[in-house]
Amino acid sequence: MSKFAEREVTFTFNGETFKGVEGQSIAAALMATGVRELRKTRFDGKPRLIFCGIGICFDCVVVIDGVANQRACLVEISDGAKIESQK
Amino acid sequence: MIAIIGAGPAGLAAAKVAAESNSEVIVLDSAPRPGGQYWRHRDYVQGYKSHRASGYLDSIIGSKNVTYIHGAQVWSATRGKGAITLNYLHEGSEKSITVEKLILTTGAYDRSLPFAGWELPGSMTPGAAQALLKGHGVIGGKKILVSGTGPFLLPVAVGLAEAGADVLGIIEAHSPLRWLRSPIALILNPQKALELLYYLRKIRKYSLKVYFGSAVIGFNGSKAILSKVKSNLESKGKVTEIECDVVAAGWGFNPDVTLGGILGCNQKVDRDGTVIFSVDSEQRSSQQNIWIAGEATGIGGADLALAEGEIAARSALNDSIPLSLKFKRFRLRLFATALQRSYPVGNGWQGWIKPETKICRCEEVSHSEICQSVTELSAQDSRTSKLFTRAGMGLCQGRVCSRNVSEIIAGENGCKVTDQERISYSNRPIAAPISLGVLADGINSQ
Repeated sequence: MSKFAEREVTFTFNGETFKGVEGQSIAAALMATGVRELRKTRFDGKPRLIFCGIGICFDCVVVIDGVANQRACLVEISDGAKIESQK
Repeated sequence: MIAIIGAGPAGLAAAKVAAESNSEVIVLDSAPRPGGQYWRHRDYVQGYKSHRASGYLDSIIGSKNVTYIHGAQVWSATRGKGAITLNYLHEGSEKSITVEKLILTTGAYDRSLPFAGWELPGSMTPGAAQALLKGHGVIGGKKILVSGTGPFLLPVAVGLAEAGADVLGIIEAHSPLRWLRSPIALILNPQKALELLYYLRKIRKYSLKVYFGSAVIGFNGSKAILSKVKSNLESKGKVTEIECDVVAAGWGFNPDVTLGGILGCNQKVDRDGTVIFSVDSEQRSSQQNIWIAGEATGIGGADLALAEGEIAARSALNDSIPLSLKFKRFRLRLFATALQRSYPVGNGWQGWIKPETKICRCEEVSHSEICQSVTELSAQDSRTSKLFTRAGMGLCQGRVCSRNVSEIIAGENGCKVTDQERISYSNRPIAAPISLGVLADGINSQ
């Protein structure tokens, strides 16, 4: 078992700076720091995190660099990415 | 040229055969890395017999005649004269490729049952907990319960425990004694006993608690409600509370049949209510030059998927299929049937949910709204209820809720879900959301 090379990546989520490991999904990198809410729902304003984790359920959608409906469980973090909760 | 869609066990097994044959092959996979949900990995693969994965991965990545495109999501496909065109999203734009032959190995995803609080952060599928850990090196929470039914709960719980997570228990709805109903499947598959022993040793090593005949029927973000359940999943009323911040609950799998459905491949309803493809002894679908292998032809696990993938590729290349390989598929299919018999998902879960429990997560449609569409608006199937309530019309296109919505409506109407309805709710006209802008760019560039 070879340990993967860990390169640190810096990004922002709702204006706050976070660090993650290259290759991690946005959801994973945020959850690793204890984040428990990626967005609030449209109608009831209830918090959502990840659910299926493999791109099926679209519960974890976020806005990445201005592009909405991106699945945080699939998209890998990139240096300088600006991520926001979807309204 | 042969295209293989999916790089899980079935797709990799097919690609390996094709790589060794010197035919031109393209593998399109939606994930950033090969291996599928079963062998998802970063630079290494862990788990029972996972060393097998590297052999397959090397064969496709090192081969001159195999082109492997990761992060390619095939969103639609068409059949023409002797050719199949696949349209896929890759690196932000739409691309297409035309091939003579197609092997579909699109896999499956966790089946979820709703319960009070299942939409809260911390409630996820075992597949999600597994993906976070194996794919991204992250443990989903501090205190984790793994719940549901079926053997998949074992690698998830054990994997988490090995990574240092506090796994409070494995909550399995069924009794292991149900396996005694399938003696022939057990006798023909002694290797499965070794796999079970592997996990039992790990369960002992990490002192994991296993609760049989129980299910998580409620969650509030910091506490789960555990209930004893009957074999149809109906709660026996005896509940206990366990403090935890993650409930990873899964109830078997839904095969992903979308692409084959778009291409017109015949489907049928399996014993367990899942919709699968009808294939012949060489994994050929009802459409010429389209083969289907793995979970989309019946949930059966990685070993069966490997056998089917190899058979499909051999058939596509007009190679002979050894009898031993066909026998392997036969005994693994018997085992898959035994799994269905041992871990059935009855309708008793409908008693767990509260009127306000959301059944459609995307459109936030509650159980009471769905029931009202039946009692007040006379909806008799999920399609009608969907029009009234928007259940199943969100971004996931009903992948998570449509089966549950159908079963709730059938329950309210006092009837059973028809095969026609099951096939209807399992199919969708496009396989992945695509923005009109990206679509228009693709058209302009042609």
